[in-house]
Amino acid sequence: MEVRRLVKMANDIGAFFERGGDAGGVANHIRMFWDPRMRREILVHLDETGGDGLTPIVREALQQHGHELDPGS
Amino acid sequence: MQSITDRDLGTPRPKTTRTVTVEIDHRTVEVPEGSTVMHAAAANGIAVPKLCATDSLEPFGSCRLCLVEIEGRRGYPASCTTPVEAGMKVRTQSERLADLRRGVMELYISDHPLDCLTCPANGHCELQDMAGAVGLRDVRYGYEGVHHLDAETDASNPYFAFDPSKCIVCSRCVRACEETQGTFALTVDGRGFASTIAAGMNEPFMDSECVSCGACVQACPTSTLMEKSVYAHGQPDRTVTTTCAYCGVGCSFKAEVKGTQVVRMVPNKDGQANHGHSCVKGRFAYGYASHPDRITQPLVRASIDDPWKEVSWDDAIAHAASEFKRIRDRYGRNALGGITSSRCTNEEAYLVQKLVRAGFGNNNVDTCARVCHSPTGYGLKTTLGTSAGTQAFDSVEEADVVMIIGANPTDGHPVFASQMKRRLRAGARLIIVDPRVIDLVRTPHVQADHHLQLRPGTNVAVINGLAHVIVTEGLTDDAFANERCDPDEYAEWKAFVSHEKYSPRNVERMTGVRAETLRRAARLYAKGPNSAIYYGLGVTEHSQGSTMVIGMANLAMATGNIGREGVGVSPLRGQNNVQGSCDMGSFPHELSGYRHLSDGETRRLFQQDWGVEIDPEPGLRIPNMFDAALDGSFKGMYIQGEDFVQSDPNTQHIEAAMRAMECVIVQDLFLNETAKFAHVFFPGATFLEKDGTFTNAERRIQRVRKIMPPAAGMADWEVTQAFSNAMGYPMRYAHPSEIMDEIARLTPTFRGVSFETIDRLGSVQWPCNDAMPEGTPTMHVGGFVRGKGKFVVTEYVETDERSSRRFPLLLTTGRVLAQYNVGAQTRRTPNREWHDEDILEIHPHDAEQRGIADGGLVSLASRVGDTVLKARVTERIQPGVVYTTFHHPLCGTNVVTTENSDWATNCPEYKVTAVEVAPVTRLSEWQEQYRDFTRKQEDLLRERASVRT
Amino acid sequence: MPDPDTDATRSALALKLADATLETLRDPRGALLPILHAIQEEMGCIPESVIPAVAERLNLTRAEVYGVVTFYADFRTEPLGRSVVHVCLAESCQALGSAAVADAAKAHLGVDFEGTTADGAFTLRKVYCLGNCALSPSVMIGGDVHGRVSPGAVGELIEAGRAGP
Ligand code: SF4
Ligand code: SF4
Ligand code: SF4
Ligand code: FES
Ligand code: FES
Repeated sequence: MEVRRLVKMANDIGAFFERGGDAGGVANHIRMFWDPRMRREILVHLDETGGDGLTPIVREALQQHGHELDPGS
Repeated sequence: MQSITDRDLGTPRPKTTRTVTVEIDHRTVEVPEGSTVMHAAAANGIAVPKLCATDSLEPFGSCRLCLVEIEGRRGYPASCTTPVEAGMKVRTQSERLADLRRGVMELYISDHPLDCLTCPANGHCELQDMAGAVGLRDVRYGYEGVHHLDAETDASNPYFAFDPSKCIVCSRCVRACEETQGTFALTVDGRGFASTIAAGMNEPFMDSECVSCGACVQACPTSTLMEKSVYAHGQPDRTVTTTCAYCGVGCSFKAEVKGTQVVRMVPNKDGQANHGHSCVKGRFAYGYASHPDRITQPLVRASIDDPWKEVSWDDAIAHAASEFKRIRDRYGRNALGGITSSRCTNEEAYLVQKLVRAGFGNNNVDTCARVCHSPTGYGLKTTLGTSAGTQAFDSVEEADVVMIIGANPTDGHPVFASQMKRRLRAGARLIIVDPRVIDLVRTPHVQADHHLQLRPGTNVAVINGLAHVIVTEGLTDDAFANERCDPDEYAEWKAFVSHEKYSPRNVERMTGVRAETLRRAARLYAKGPNSAIYYGLGVTEHSQGSTMVIGMANLAMATGNIGREGVGVSPLRGQNNVQGSCDMGSFPHELSGYRHLSDGETRRLFQQDWGVEIDPEPGLRIPNMFDAALDGSFKGMYIQGEDFVQSDPNTQHIEAAMRAMECVIVQDLFLNETAKFAHVFFPGATFLEKDGTFTNAERRIQRVRKIMPPAAGMADWEVTQAFSNAMGYPMRYAHPSEIMDEIARLTPTFRGVSFETIDRLGSVQWPCNDAMPEGTPTMHVGGFVRGKGKFVVTEYVETDERSSRRFPLLLTTGRVLAQYNVGAQTRRTPNREWHDEDILEIHPHDAEQRGIADGGLVSLASRVGDTVLKARVTERIQPGVVYTTFHHPLCGTNVVTTENSDWATNCPEYKVTAVEVAPVTRLSEWQEQYRDFTRKQEDLLRERASVRT
Repeated sequence: MPDPDTDATRSALALKLADATLETLRDPRGALLPILHAIQEEMGCIPESVIPAVAERLNLTRAEVYGVVTFYADFRTEPLGRSVVHVCLAESCQALGSAAVADAAKAHLGVDFEGTTADGAFTLRKVYCLGNCALSPSVMIGGDVHGRVSPGAVGELIEAGRAGP
C-alpha cells in the first residue's frame, strides 16, 4: 500500500493523542482499526527508513508497541 | 385525500392521560380531558358530520356542519371547537340539527360541479360522504349566478393538480401547509363567497413557495388537490404499511395499491417518526422503481471493455462464485471483500457481512457509513458508550434551545425539520453553526438567535470556544458531570478548555466567528434548561470529525444536557438505513451491536452460531480497499447498493482502483457509476419488492413490506444467500424474519426484536431487550451505557487542506431537498424539475474578482482534479468559501475532493477542499473523458447479448 | 407588463415605509396591517410587486401577505382612478333603487365594482351609506355627494366629475 498514505493516517491519529503524550493511545487505535497488512507495512517502513515522515509520537508508538502491532506475532 | 383506511377523529388527540365522563347521544363515555366534543364522539364511534376539521390539524370552526346540541347551552355550538366538560350531555342528531346541516351542505353543493362519477376522488370524497350523511337530495340554489365552476386547473406541479372548481374553501390545505409542513405557501385569496385558495400570490404552485411536501393534498377533503397518479390509475383498493427508503427520518407510509400498482404513497398517521407527514421524495418520488433504466436480468462480462451478456440467475451466481474462488485460491482469502448498503434492509446488510466473515473468511466488510457518519459511531461510543443518537425525534418538542451544527434539516431531513420548526414557532431558541446561511437561519416564522458562520474546517475550535465560555463563566452543571462522569477526566477537560487558547477572541481568530456571538450562543446553550444538539455531515466529514463528535458530547455532559427528553446529542443520519447497516456489524472491526472483534466472548458466540472461525483481526475499510487494490493485494469486491465512484472523494483514484480489480460484483437497481467498472451485475430489488426492516436516525426499527414481486425475480437477501451457497458457505433462510431472529439471538441490544414485536408495537427503538421490552426512546437515562461518561480533551488541529495562493477558496458540499445523494433514484423522477444540475455557489465579492457572472460556466479546480459547472452568485455563502452538491455524476464534484479523512475512522473530508474557480467556456478534460466513457458503457449495455440458458 | 425598474423602486419605497412603521411599534408582530396601511396611504395602493419585499422584511411568506391584502376590502393592489365613483348600496338607497343606478354606472364605465377604467380616469366602488339618506339614492363622485340620482342621469354626472390626467 502507498506508504505516504499510511504515514498520513498514522500522523492524523498521532495528532489526536499528541496532547496527552499518549503513544499507547496511538498504538491501540492502530491495533484496533487497521488491517494487519497496513500495520505490517508501516512497521516495515519504520524499520527501513527509521520512520520517514512520521511525527515523534507516532514513531514512539510504533517503536514501543511494535510487537503488539505486528500481526505475525 | 387522506388514506383510504384512515379513521379521522376530527381534531387532534389531546396529550393527556386524564379523562372526564360525558354523555353523548345518551351513552356515557369516558374521554381524554381537553378533547373536543367532535373527537370524543368520533373516538366512541359517533361520527359528527364535518368538513373543515381533520385530526391532523387544529380545529378551525368555519364550515358549521358539525353543529350539535348541548344541554344547558343556547344555540348549536360547533363540536370541533367546543371542548368537553365533565358531565356534559351532547346530542349529535336531531331534526333541527339535520335541517341546519342540510342547509349548510346545500350551499356548498350549489357551487360544486356534480360530476362525481368522473371525479378522481369518487368514493373517497368527504363532500360526497357528507352530502350522503346529512341526507341531501336536491339543491335549491341552482347553478346560474356567480360560481367557480369554470376555474382553471393548475397542473404545474409534476405530482399533483389543483382544480379550484372543486374547492369548498375549507382551508384545510392552507392550515396543513402552515401547521404540518411549516411552509406557509398557501392562502385564502379574497373573502366571503368570492374567496379562493391561492399558492403564493395566486401563482402556479411551481412558482410559489411550495416545496411539494403534499401535506395539503392529503388534507384536502375533495379532489381539488389530488395526486396526478390517482387521475392516472384510479382509486386504490388496499394499503400496505411500509417505510420510506430515502432518508434517515424513516417516514412510515401507507402505500395505496391497486393490484400490484402503487397508486400513491400516503404518510402514515400512526408513524412514530413522522406522524403522518412526509417530504416530496418519500411521498412522490417512487417512480424510479418502474423506470425503464432498471436492469432486470443478471449481467456478466470478462472485462469492462466488453459488452455485457444477459444470463440467468444461476449462471450469474455460479460465475461470480467461481471468479471469487479463483481469486481466493490465487491471492489468498484477504483479497476479497464486500460492501453492505445503507439503502438495503437490516437483514440484507447483516447477510452481506456474514457472507464476508463466514464465507470469504476475512473481515474486509465496510459500508457507506464510512463516508458519512462513521465518526458518530466512534465519538459517541467513546464518550457515552453507544454508537447512536441519544433521542427520539419527538424529544425536540421538549427542547428550549436547539443547536444545529453542520446540518441542513429543511433540505436533508425535511420531516424532522417541520417538527423542529413547529417547536421553534412555539418559542424554542435556535443556534446555528454552519459556514453557509442555511434556510433555518431565517425562513418565514423562524429566525435563528445566533448564527456562528465559521470557516469550513474549524468546528473543533468553535466547540472548544463554546466550552471555554461555559466553563469559565461557571455555567456548567458540576453536580451532574461529577456524578455521572469520571470526575478526574472532567476536571482535566475543564482545565483544557479553560485555556486562553480557546478564549472567544482567539477562537474568533481561528474560525471567523465573532467573539460576542460565541459568548452569547454559549450562554444560551448553557441556560437551556433543555438544550439539544442536532448535527449532520458538516460535523463528521472533516479530518477532525470524530474529535468534533466527542466535543459535542463533552459539552452536553458538562451542562447536564443528556439523559432525558428535550436534550441530547442527535446525529441526523443521511440514509434510510445507515443506522441499521452500522448496527448490523458492517464495519471491518466489529460484529453486530458494535462489539469489537478482539472481544473473544462475542467472537465465540458467533463462531458457535455460524459454525466457522472468525478472524480476530480488523479488515480493510473502503479507502484502504482502494489502496490495497492499487497495490495488488485486493482483487474481488461484492458491492451491494452503493455507488462510490460517484459518492466517494478523489474520483480518479477510485477509478484507477476499480480498474485494478479482477472481479467487481455490483448489485443495484441501475447500472450506476460504479457498475460501469463491474464484471458482474446482480439486479437489485426496490423497497417495494421485499420484506425487511430499516432503522432510522432515532434507532427506530420499522418494517418494510413487500408490495410487488421483485422485478428481477429475486430480493437482494435471496441473492446474497444464493451467492453464499455457491461460495460454499450454506445459508438457508426462508424469510427475512428468520434473519432478524438470528440478529436478535446474537445481539444483546436487539434481543427483544422480532418482526412480531415490530408488528405489535408499530416500531421499536433499540435497545430492546428484557430490561426494555418495548424499546428505548431516550438513552442514558440515569446513567451512561458505558458506566461513567467519558470526557476526552479535543485539541483543535487545523486540517492539512488549507487555502493557498493557488487554491485560495474553500469548497464545502451539501445537498438539496429534491435530490437524494448520488441521485440514482431521484434523478429518475420528476424531481429533476426542481434540481437538474449541481451548481456552485459563490459570494458576489469572489465572483466579481474573477469576472464570474451568475449562471456562467466556471471551472472548479483543486490539487487533485478539476471539473466545470454553473455558478450562482449569492450571499448565502461567505467570502472565501464556495459550495456545491453532488447529486449529478457529470458535475463531478468528487473529482476535486481530496483523500484527506477523519483521523479515527477515515471518513473523507468532503467539507473542506482548497480550490480555485475561474470562468470557462467548456467542460473539463475529466468531464469529456467521463462522457466518452459513459457513452461507451451505455453502448456496452445496449449491445448486451442474451445468452440465457 | 411589470417594469423591473419601477418594481424595484416601488419595493424600495415600500421597505422604507415598512421600516419607518416598524420603528414606531414596540412589537414587530402585528406590524403587517400598519405597514400595509402606510404603503397604501403613500402609494395609493399596494402594488403586488412590493409584496415579496414586505414579506421578506417581516419574515413572512408572500402568500401570507397576499392573503391579508386581498382579505381586507380597504386594500387595493391597483391604483385608484383619478376620480372615484361611489355608489351607495345601504338600506335607504337600496330601497329607492340604487341597484339600478349601480348597473347604469357599470354600463357607462364598462367596469364592475372595484374596477378602474382603462384610461385610469375612474374607479367604481360601492359604499354603505354616505350620510345622505334623506336624498337617496346617493352617489359620490370625486368627493362630491349627489342625491336623488336616477339611472339615466348618472352617466352625465360621472362625466362632469372627470379629472384631468
Ligand atoms: S383545496 Fe381542498 S383543502 Fe383547500 S380549501 Fe379547497 S377543498 Fe379545502
Ligand atoms: S405541497 Fe406542501 S409546501 Fe406545497 S402547498 Fe402543499 S403543504 Fe404547502
Ligand atoms: S425522504 Fe426522509 S423525510 Fe422525506 S419522506 Fe422519506 S424518510 Fe421522510
Ligand atoms: S367541522 Fe366544525 S366547523 Fe367545520
Ligand atoms: S343609505 Fe345611501 S346614503 Fe345612507
